[in-house]
Amino acid sequence: MASPGDEGSRPNGPNGSLGSFSERNKREHSNPEIISALYEELFGEEDCERPCYLPDHREEDSRDAEQDGTVAREDKEKGGGDGEVEGESKKVKGTSAELAGSQMSNELDAGDFQEDLGARSETGHDDGIQDRDQEISLRNGASAEASFTERSVAVDGEFSSDRGLDALPSPTSSQGGTSGYMAGSGSSSASTSSISGIEAANEQDTEGTGSRKEERGARVPGKRHTEEDDSHPSWRRHKKHFFILSNAGKPIYSRYGDEHKLAGFSATLQAIMSFVENSGDTVHLVRAGDHQIVFLVRGPLYLVCISSTDEPSEVLRGQLELLHGQLILILTKAVEKCFLKNSKFDMRPLLGGMDVVLSSLIHAFSWEPATFLKAYTCLPLPYGARQAACGALQDMTDSGALFSVLMCGNKVISLVGSRKTSLHPHDLLLLSNFISSSDSFRTSESFSPVCLPRYNSAAFMYAYVQYLNKDTCLILLTADPNDFFHLKECRAQIEIVLRESNVLREVNNSIERGGLRIEDMPGSEVGPSESGSTRGDRASDDGASTSAPEAVPGAGGPAGLWHFIYRSTYLDQFIASEFSPPFTTRSAQKRLYRAYQKLHASMHNAGGGGPHKMQYRRDEDHVLLSWRTSDFELYAAFDPLAEKNSAIFVCNRICQWIRDMEAEVFLLGATPFNW
Amino acid sequence: MSARKRTLLKVIILGDSGVGKTSLMNQYVNKKFTAQYKATIGADFLTKEVQVEDRLVTMQIWDTAGQERFQSLGVAFYRGADCCVLVYDVNVMKSFDNLENWRAEFLIQASPQDPENFPFVVLGNKVDVDGGNSRVVSEKKAKQWCTAHGNIPYFETSAKEDYNVDAAFQCIAKNALKNETEEEIYLPDTIDVTQNRPTKSSACEC
Repeated sequence: MASPGDEGSRPNGPNGSLGSFSERNKREHSNPEIISALYEELFGEEDCERPCYLPDHREEDSRDAEQDGTVAREDKEKGGGDGEVEGESKKVKGTSAELAGSQMSNELDAGDFQEDLGARSETGHDDGIQDRDQEISLRNGASAEASFTERSVAVDGEFSSDRGLDALPSPTSSQGGTSGYMAGSGSSSASTSSISGIEAANEQDTEGTGSRKEERGARVPGKRHTEEDDSHPSWRRHKKHFFILSNAGKPIYSRYGDEHKLAGFSATLQAIMSFVENSGDTVHLVRAGDHQIVFLVRGPLYLVCISSTDEPSEVLRGQLELLHGQLILILTKAVEKCFLKNSKFDMRPLLGGMDVVLSSLIHAFSWEPATFLKAYTCLPLPYGARQAACGALQDMTDSGALFSVLMCGNKVISLVGSRKTSLHPHDLLLLSNFISSSDSFRTSESFSPVCLPRYNSAAFMYAYVQYLNKDTCLILLTADPNDFFHLKECRAQIEIVLRESNVLREVNNSIERGGLRIEDMPGSEVGPSESGSTRGDRASDDGASTSAPEAVPGAGGPAGLWHFIYRSTYLDQFIASEFSPPFTTRSAQKRLYRAYQKLHASMHNAGGGGPHKMQYRRDEDHVLLSWRTSDFELYAAFDPLAEKNSAIFVCNRICQWIRDMEAEVFLLGATPFNW
Repeated sequence: MSARKRTLLKVIILGDSGVGKTSLMNQYVNKKFTAQYKATIGADFLTKEVQVEDRLVTMQIWDTAGQERFQSLGVAFYRGADCCVLVYDVNVMKSFDNLENWRAEFLIQASPQDPENFPFVVLGNKVDVDGGNSRVVSEKKAKQWCTAHGNIPYFETSAKEDYNVDAAFQCIAKNALKNETEEEIYLPDTIDVTQNRPTKSSACEC
């Protein structure tokens, strides 16, 4: 891991979230001060100390944290990247012979790929080609700059010999790279801030405002900007793209833009992937400046994410896996046979109307902890009410249903599986997304084929779906396609039981009460007064103001606790506290989730010193503390000036608190997932 | 999603280096021509939407590099092609002779379901050069070859003068559509609960 002063080596790798924190701070703050350390084992000895810096008040505070992609960083990456690229250079610059060899890296650190795209876009501008028949080129357009293709797709010793490592983007070409692809068209630092502004606005537009409103009630179909294609600057500016294509390069789904207009782009992706595939290898990740391009091959389907959101690549990979799972849920793996028989097969018609499901899932990647925690969350309910609900479902499950699920929004009220089978949290997530994103389920009782990819990806089962009230939805899964009327009767009986035992009223009460609030945490003797003084001390010590602009001093729970997520390992369930100040804006909430994601990734993946048992990490936005034991995982966010000891103390309190409420916030006695 | 079905066709252009593949494509898609030769590296991709008998078709055109060193692009590149366009230069005999190799190579790599009837189109390009005086491959000879290889449609074109380019590509789209196999019947199974969860689904579990 890089030492703080070492400009020559850039903390790298999927695990490098800590590294990227420090890196980010480093470039923004000239006089950093180490104030954070990472702890291994239970609050034990300092195993190793890692640099992390408390920033000055950030200029860009008004922007989303993920807007960090400035040219400054770009230059830093290029400049500082040498040491790291060196290790990879053989593979990156390699001739095809090298690529074909087994040493082919799964991770191409190819700023030059972006450069290529950059060069292309410049060409496009020069020629004024802005019509929809924009050329997509695997080579770089008119200019003679080194490109990904020249080095990897082309078999050209000339290029590879003299343009290998040395051809790493010079400052000018790196700027060209920035200007090119989705990074927006900021080709010089002067214009960067304004570009970022546009991006911020754009992000707000696409993911921020109104999303929550849409989540309940009439959700506007998820896919937006359908008129765009890759020649539109606005299309390039989206921070996170998802593509699904066939292994023949035919587009199946794109998060933004029209799939057919993106046929050329899709072909480019396939060309890159298939070139590597030809050498018996698979490309997993390309880094290009601020962008990560993550590839996932699943049979005849290629899934690609192009993101500048700074999420760890394994998080993005997990999201691609889920996206693939959603396709399987809709179509089963039988769709792969169609490609086997006919490689020209066009899958798009089979997905008619399903864009909204995929888009909704992608939306959930930013807002739904279930997407990275591999766990589901329950609606808090009195123990008796949940027991009554489980009892009602159990009776029906005994009479034929494979699974019975009662959900309120994306929260589980009760879940029962027959014959000791269990429902994987991802299956539940995908099923819930499928149902909640399709409006037609709300309006009438439905019987729909679905496939639970983790349960059996090869075949359909059938879901009887009926909303009992605005939010509460009963899902009965059966293997029998003729079971509709039987399940309809079951539903009627379940509904009677639920009403008689007041479960539905309790559900409504719970919705009104809302979830757990950190302010309600009992026993706050570490409480506000001490944390207040702590804050004062630190502030005077550091001479730094609090980070988040929307921070309300004194808000939150004890010791500056702002938010937490507790995941029970045994139950595969989690409970998250409600958002309270300062997480009042969508962007602040999203930033927190992204931070949790990063933390989660570093807690679970080897490398960068991980996997960890405990981390205490301070950045400009918050202090994050995560703690993993065999029973639970806890992720907590504190005021950035929160003190370590009191934060740790509070975490213990949270665990105690959750344990005290276990019967209400979790579904106990559910069959544990055995895989 | 609109009810109207849109079709996507993957069209691959093959031929010796310098016969004008990129120029033909540029003329067709962008209505542009430049006399300056610029070797294609790897492959270029363009898309063009066309109307073929009431059907809206997106042509995804794969313009490949002619140099032999790019032939390693191979299988994955050609996979799932709907039509293959073979281009030669009427002024260069070798480029015509090589059509045989290009066709064979394509059929090996792409291994289409029905190689006999896979839609090819042959274009004899650069008929404008020197007023046709430097021509070495006669139209008759080219047509004979096409007939011998399963009545491949043949067009004489000039990318420079935009002669016959639209007609050729229209024919390409049409032929690709004609060859479109009937929609693969997508028949998913229903889960069988009598046998336990096939977590390890092997082929023979009977």
